[in-house]
Amino acid sequence: MAAAPKRLGVKFSLKQSPSLQPKDIMPIFQRWIQGHTVEGMLIDVIDYKHVHQGPSLILIADEGDYAYDLGDGQAGLQYIRKRAMPACLSDALRLVFRLAFIAARRLEADTKRQLQFDYAAAKISFLDRQRYRNQPGVFDGVRAELTACLAQLYDDEIELTRVYDDPRQIFALRCSTQNPDVAMAGIISRLEGNGPPHHRPQP
Amino acid sequence: MNTWKEQLKQRIPADAAHLIDTFEAQIELRRQGKLDEKVFAESRLRKGIYGQRYDNGQRHDGICTRELAYPSGDLVKGPDTLWDAPGMQRIKIPYGGLTAEQLETLSELADEYADGILHITTRQDIQLHYVHIDDTPDLMRRLAAVGITTQEACGNSVRNITACPLAGVCHDETFDVSPYADALTQFLLGHDDVQDFGRKFKIAFSGCEGHACGLVKMHDLGLLARTREVGGELKRGFTVFVGGGLGTVPHQAKVLTDFVSEEKLLPLAQAVARVFARLGEKKNRNRARLKFLVAKLGIEEFRRLAQEELEILPHDERHTAYLDGLQDFTYEPAKAGMALNGTPLPAGFEDWYRSNHYRQVQAGYSTITLHVPLGDFTARQGFQLADIARRYVGDHIRLSVEQNIILRWVADADLPAIYRELLDIGLADSGAGTILDITSCPGTDTCKLGIASSRGLTGELRMRLIERIHRLPDAVRELKIKVSGCFNSCGQHHVADIGFFGNSRRAGNHKMPHFQVVLGGQWHENAGSYGLAVGAVPAKSVPDVLEALTRRYVAERGEDENFQAWVKNLGRKAIKAMLQPYMKRPSFEAKPAYFSDWGDSRVYTIDDIGVGECAGEVVSLFSMEIAKAESSHFEALVALDEGNYAQADQQAYKAMILAARALVRTQYLDVGDDYNSIVSEFRRRFYDTELVYDRFAKGKFARYLFKRHSQAPAAVSEDYAHQMIDETQLFIENIHSAEQRINGVIVS
Repeated sequence: MAAAPKRLGVKFSLKQSPSLQPKDIMPIFQRWIQGHTVEGMLIDVIDYKHVHQGPSLILIADEGDYAYDLGDGQAGLQYIRKRAMPACLSDALRLVFRLAFIAARRLEADTKRQLQFDYAAAKISFLDRQRYRNQPGVFDGVRAELTACLAQLYDDEIELTRVYDDPRQIFALRCSTQNPDVAMAGIISRLEGNGPPHHRPQP
Repeated sequence: MNTWKEQLKQRIPADAAHLIDTFEAQIELRRQGKLDEKVFAESRLRKGIYGQRYDNGQRHDGICTRELAYPSGDLVKGPDTLWDAPGMQRIKIPYGGLTAEQLETLSELADEYADGILHITTRQDIQLHYVHIDDTPDLMRRLAAVGITTQEACGNSVRNITACPLAGVCHDETFDVSPYADALTQFLLGHDDVQDFGRKFKIAFSGCEGHACGLVKMHDLGLLARTREVGGELKRGFTVFVGGGLGTVPHQAKVLTDFVSEEKLLPLAQAVARVFARLGEKKNRNRARLKFLVAKLGIEEFRRLAQEELEILPHDERHTAYLDGLQDFTYEPAKAGMALNGTPLPAGFEDWYRSNHYRQVQAGYSTITLHVPLGDFTARQGFQLADIARRYVGDHIRLSVEQNIILRWVADADLPAIYRELLDIGLADSGAGTILDITSCPGTDTCKLGIASSRGLTGELRMRLIERIHRLPDAVRELKIKVSGCFNSCGQHHVADIGFFGNSRRAGNHKMPHFQVVLGGQWHENAGSYGLAVGAVPAKSVPDVLEALTRRYVAERGEDENFQAWVKNLGRKAIKAMLQPYMKRPSFEAKPAYFSDWGDSRVYTIDDIGVGECAGEVVSLFSMEIAKAESSHFEALVALDEGNYAQADQQAYKAMILAARALVRTQYLDVGDDYNSIVSEFRRRFYDTELVYDRFAKGKFARYLFKRHSQAPAAVSEDYAHQMIDETQLFIENIHSAEQRINGVIVS
């Protein structure tokens, strides 16, 4: 089993062009802090709307950050785990997927579905150039484990491709399934039980 | 798997590696409660590791103040600064000069340790935010491997030395100040004479007097390039300014000397540092900057003291050694200079060219400014920009104090192509140096001292100005706006045409974010004069205030009357009357939006303000020095655990030397690093006088040092190493006790 990277991110992109501006999402993230709506020790919301294809808005938490991210020119919800990472890659991936799923679903609800995410595909980012340099050999080393883990999550065949060719960039993968109507409930139930006991959202 | 430490061992200079290893040991000691929190705080500040808002574990979420229960519990990395709370890493970029490789490394670090954003500061540094203290040693190692240090980026030390980003390519400069800024940076970095300041010390270089250049008149030490004919030969030198500064109470610098030759530049800077270390305020940090000392003594007396120090400085070959390398400080353009002629121009190019382009003194070359809103860019943009730099300019990248990126040595013929590539990566915004190019400090976004959202206001003003920039008259387009989140002037609001700094006012039972309006500051002539505060307006009224001011300026200004002159002629009373309608504070019920800050949906509060770390606690020189001894002792313990007994002995011996040096330096600053000198001075000053004697053990612990110093072991067994480490521990304790007896304090 491969070791987890120091930081691991999962991003779900929007299905279509957003009808909301990032400024409309700022109050939602602020309310998430007030209501402890998503997991983690939530600290603050940072505004990077002025940055070209940047993280736009980041809800900073101790364990990981939630962002309404515009990276690669695609708006989406990204969760990056920074601390309290499970030791093995598959466990880490399940944890990060779960938190990203939950936050994305919550954002859909809080925007009255003016934002809708495409769960049939995800970008997985390994922010750790020591363990995971962006090289083909690194991909070969984790492909089987990741494929098995993600196929189990999606209950479907999945395809993995490298996002960036540039070896200086982070090692990132695009995971996709052929099924456009992913059964969310099934995914969530398969992911249950992987979160830390503390800092769970309040009911 | 290799650690970064192992992986980069061959690429990091030994002294930098040692500094980082020592700091890593201090992190461990602090975790174990074996290093005083104030000493650790000063040590981390001197590595550029700074606290951030909410690091005291409290945050107001718009409803009430809530506890942020970090996993590390009560462990702190400084007074009231929780261990796990994310912090800021400031990274020194001397005179703003960057290579493509350095930019790539900075981008990697932003990805892996921060929030993916690189922030350019108003002093040509790079800052990474939301960094965990545990990540900082590796972060520093990766920087050191590409020639960047964070040493003395914060704390009571010599901060990043800044210089005009056009140095070397400017039409009006006397000569290129870049190699001098580089030499002074190297000379003062970690120098013994800059370790005992009561406050930070900022230095800037300018190549000319007329432009803004390095803003030398607002610095502790400002150096303005001059030449003088001596014996028929044109000699290079500098007019030296001292005691300038912004902050709460801005001071214009005074001329220390009209001309110091390049041979005497480094010694004079050292002499000024010595006067500041010796006589500067240490207890009251609000009066501890050099400007207060210069004001207190008067420039004549300060000049006399500096001269006195200059005459007794120990000989140092480095004072002039750098002069031999001056001729090597040349620029190799990536491409031959060629005129822009006949190439089809992309849309938007001409507008960009007008504001973002500077024709270099070297024929066929241009310097371009990448307008970086709020000084923020992504790691991805960093990599892409490094590629563009390699293709067109090589390593000629600079950062500016206006939070922009400058590419120098662009062949004129390449301008359309480089513009297209910058467009692709979102760094081709026009308007550099215009009213759109607003400077801002971090404010309430991340700064513990922020009172109002300087970045939120800047973002809002910028968006509104973008919409009508093409309709603005040139007189308005050319105005400078600068915004600070509080009165501490990190956004340099005093030297803008129109400056704002954050404060708050009561309105009924609520607090309302406000900005004080500061008008008529001068950016040119090296920050030639400071603006006047004319009144505070609600944050939400600031865009209307800007509109009113600029409209009236355009309507009433005389021919060729600039903004400073217009403000002066109009007078404070009339300006106040103009602002009066905007100063009104609506009730919460009537306009609730006025009770939230820009870019923040929470109801405004100032409950989140913390204690700033800008200057750090004033920790005595002894405390800092003895901490190094303790780190070395800790490394000895680690070596012992790893079975490396010879290294354990060496580290323990070094710890004893460092401890002895710490005590010697309380009396004799210039003891240097030579082990024989340190032991000799220690013996003469503290052992022979019995000052170091323990009440019961007398001179026993000091003799541990003498024994090891006079005789190195032929072979080091485990038992020997163990005993050596124990003796070192006793010796360090003995030094602590002696210092308390002699000086009466542990931490001043």
